Amino acid sequence: MVALLVSLRWRQLRHQLSRNPWMIVTLIITGMIALGLLAGLTAGLVALRFAAPQGAVTAIVLTGSVIVLGWWIGSILVSADDSLAPERFALLPVTAPALLPGFVVAGATTIGGIGTTVALLLMLLGWSVSLPALLTALIMIPVAVVTCVLGARVVSGLLAGWLARRSTRDLVLTLGVLLAASSGLILNLGIGALTKVGDVGEAFTTVADIAAWTPFGAVFGVSASAAQGDLLTSALRLLIALATVVILWVASQRLLATRLVSPIQSSGGGRVRSGRLLDRMLPATSSGAIAARSLRYFRRDPRQLVNIVMLLLLPAIFIGIALMNGLQEESIGFGPAITLIPAINALLAGTIVQMAIAYDNDAVAMHILTGVSGAADRAGRLLGFGLIAVPVTIVLCVATCLLAGRPDLLPGSLGAALGLTAIAAGAGAWVGSFLPGRAPAPEANPFGRGSSGGVQSLLAMIIIGPITLALGAPALGFAIAAIWNPVLGAVSLACGIAFGGLALWGGTVLGGKILDRRWPEVLADVSSES
Amino acid sequence: MTDPAAAPPVLALRGLRKQFGQKVAVDSLSLDVPAGSMLGLLGPNGAGKTTTLAMATGLLRPDAGTAWVLGADVWQNPAEAKARMGVLPDGIRMLDRLTGAELLRYTGLLRGMAEADVVSRTGDLLEALGLADARDTLVVDYSAGMRKKIGLACALIHAPRLLILDEPLEAVDPVSGETIRQILRSFVNGGGTVVLSSHVMELVESMCDRVAIVAEGRLLAHGPLDDVRAGLSLQQRFLTLVGAHDLGTETLAWLRSS
Repeated sequence: MVALLVSLRWRQLRHQLSRNPWMIVTLIITGMIALGLLAGLTAGLVALRFAAPQGAVTAIVLTGSVIVLGWWIGSILVSADDSLAPERFALLPVTAPALLPGFVVAGATTIGGIGTTVALLLMLLGWSVSLPALLTALIMIPVAVVTCVLGARVVSGLLAGWLARRSTRDLVLTLGVLLAASSGLILNLGIGALTKVGDVGEAFTTVADIAAWTPFGAVFGVSASAAQGDLLTSALRLLIALATVVILWVASQRLLATRLVSPIQSSGGGRVRSGRLLDRMLPATSSGAIAARSLRYFRRDPRQLVNIVMLLLLPAIFIGIALMNGLQEESIGFGPAITLIPAINALLAGTIVQMAIAYDNDAVAMHILTGVSGAADRAGRLLGFGLIAVPVTIVLCVATCLLAGRPDLLPGSLGAALGLTAIAAGAGAWVGSFLPGRAPAPEANPFGRGSSGGVQSLLAMIIIGPITLALGAPALGFAIAAIWNPVLGAVSLACGIAFGGLALWGGTVLGGKILDRRWPEVLADVSSES
Repeated sequence: MTDPAAAPPVLALRGLRKQFGQKVAVDSLSLDVPAGSMLGLLGPNGAGKTTTLAMATGLLRPDAGTAWVLGADVWQNPAEAKARMGVLPDGIRMLDRLTGAELLRYTGLLRGMAEADVVSRTGDLLEALGLADARDTLVVDYSAGMRKKIGLACALIHAPRLLILDEPLEAVDPVSGETIRQILRSFVNGGGTVVLSSHVMELVESMCDRVAIVAEGRLLAHGPLDDVRAGLSLQQRFLTLVGAHDLGTETLAWLRSS
């Protein structure tokens, strides 16, 4: 059974790869990032091993705990392995005890599982400070991997029923992204707190000592106390680590048994309010209808809701970081530079517009069947995005100018933000017509792989970026100059509106022409399974 | 077959060909559908029916050949050709985070219809197809049969001259099925033309006056229903053409319970 499930998983991966060359490229890039992280870990461990052997132990306990917690928490975010979902086995005469070992081994032999194992093996470098530590660490490697995999199964299993309701899914998604996006801010706070503690090393040692007693750190705590020759502590921690595995095993077996007889079915949300006001406000043309539909999807499609939340959140985070650093340095005011922060939304604008068709997936066939012109499609999507982006940008610009205490900088701030956002959106409308990217299917877990659009989107960013910088240079340049000479802010605003309008018009016309010519190919692109 | 430019049939397929890798899905397929007829497109699984319809409606670019709708080339003059046909595709997602009413309004406006027409026809279609109660429910929460019905409503809203329906009655309950049959009959009586694909012989025999049978991407038989049937039942004729796969008595003998 174990071998069967593992080979099933790998065969599925192989079929996915052979069907879609973009997936291979994505896999290679992911693999290189993982290799980079592992190389960093190795370098750090080797350095610590020789410079501060005791520090190496602390570092390993902390890194290990973070890896285990990453598996547990990450399982909420990453779609919990749909290829081996318990529901798929509900019709087969198999029991949970027979399936679970196979699921665990299959989970451990994923790319993430193999990466984790390699990381654990590399940690032996650090454990080589003492022979008992090295030996216990070697023995604990399988225990650590099993703790990771089982914990992830239990967490996702516990939440699965709850996440099957669309309203909760949307809520968790939004909260998750908010949290992930604010992590920079939290990190900043944490580092700020650490610098106040004074002895950073001491603080880390304390945290590592505590973590070593917890279910997620005990596996590493065993070797840590073995390294200090404290065998009693070591034994106690071993007890915690093993008890964790046993409890997780029993829990995931129970969850699995339940899922096999009562499969979870995603349920919907019933009636919705139809927002007739939106229909009245927008012209009753094909572009108007596409704009209204884009706006509805921004709200009802969790994958796109995230994008819109980010439009507010990304600048807010940067402003937050700027404010905190400003407070720490106790400088006068927060610096007029923060009035330029709203322009950062251009990064998001380009991708949101570029990936619009990918989010529709093959439902975009409706546009092809009705024979709507490519230009109307581009214009409608840009209009829909603009109706959200322009008010958000204006609010952000006014807020930053008030925070900086420089209302006179508002024109420049608006010029840079609106200009760059419009240029990026226009460029996205053009690029999206030949590189539409790829999004997870509408019914799939929105946290799943490819939510950032994969390699096609990366390529698209590489094209959109320089266009935005080149066309946006006047608006941005004059906005910066306005910090010293506020009169130039008006020039920035004029440049932003002029070049932004040009880019929007160009994106609509050029992108529309490409779509008219390539609709069937675009449909094939966005509907191919990734 | 006549020159499509001279006396245009409502739908004319000419030498359509599509190859996926090594597999030829559709092989130089030509077919005329005269005005006022209802054509049943039959074929075993994987025969190329959906591929053919995708190439006829502008969703899939053919490797060779083309399709004309009322004299307009789907691939040279797509706007004109698409304006004259309504399509119910199979196995393609709908914009399912719209409600039924919103989806119909969206389709109508994309078709360039006047808003007043869209509003009144949306109400009529939802009422006729028994979806009035579900007008404010997201299409994602519809059952499979309800999705077919809202898809059909989308194909009908601009009052096309030609309807192309892929499996129109699949998963639809008998009551709604009868409604759809009535709608299609009156559509044809009013001068419209229908092409529908199906696996249900009874549906084709009772509804269609013309039949086309495809297998392995080729057109095996085509013509008025009675000519194609040639005295047999459609089921028998179909099996003769496609090649029945008769199980010997010993095949799967282990399935017997006693």
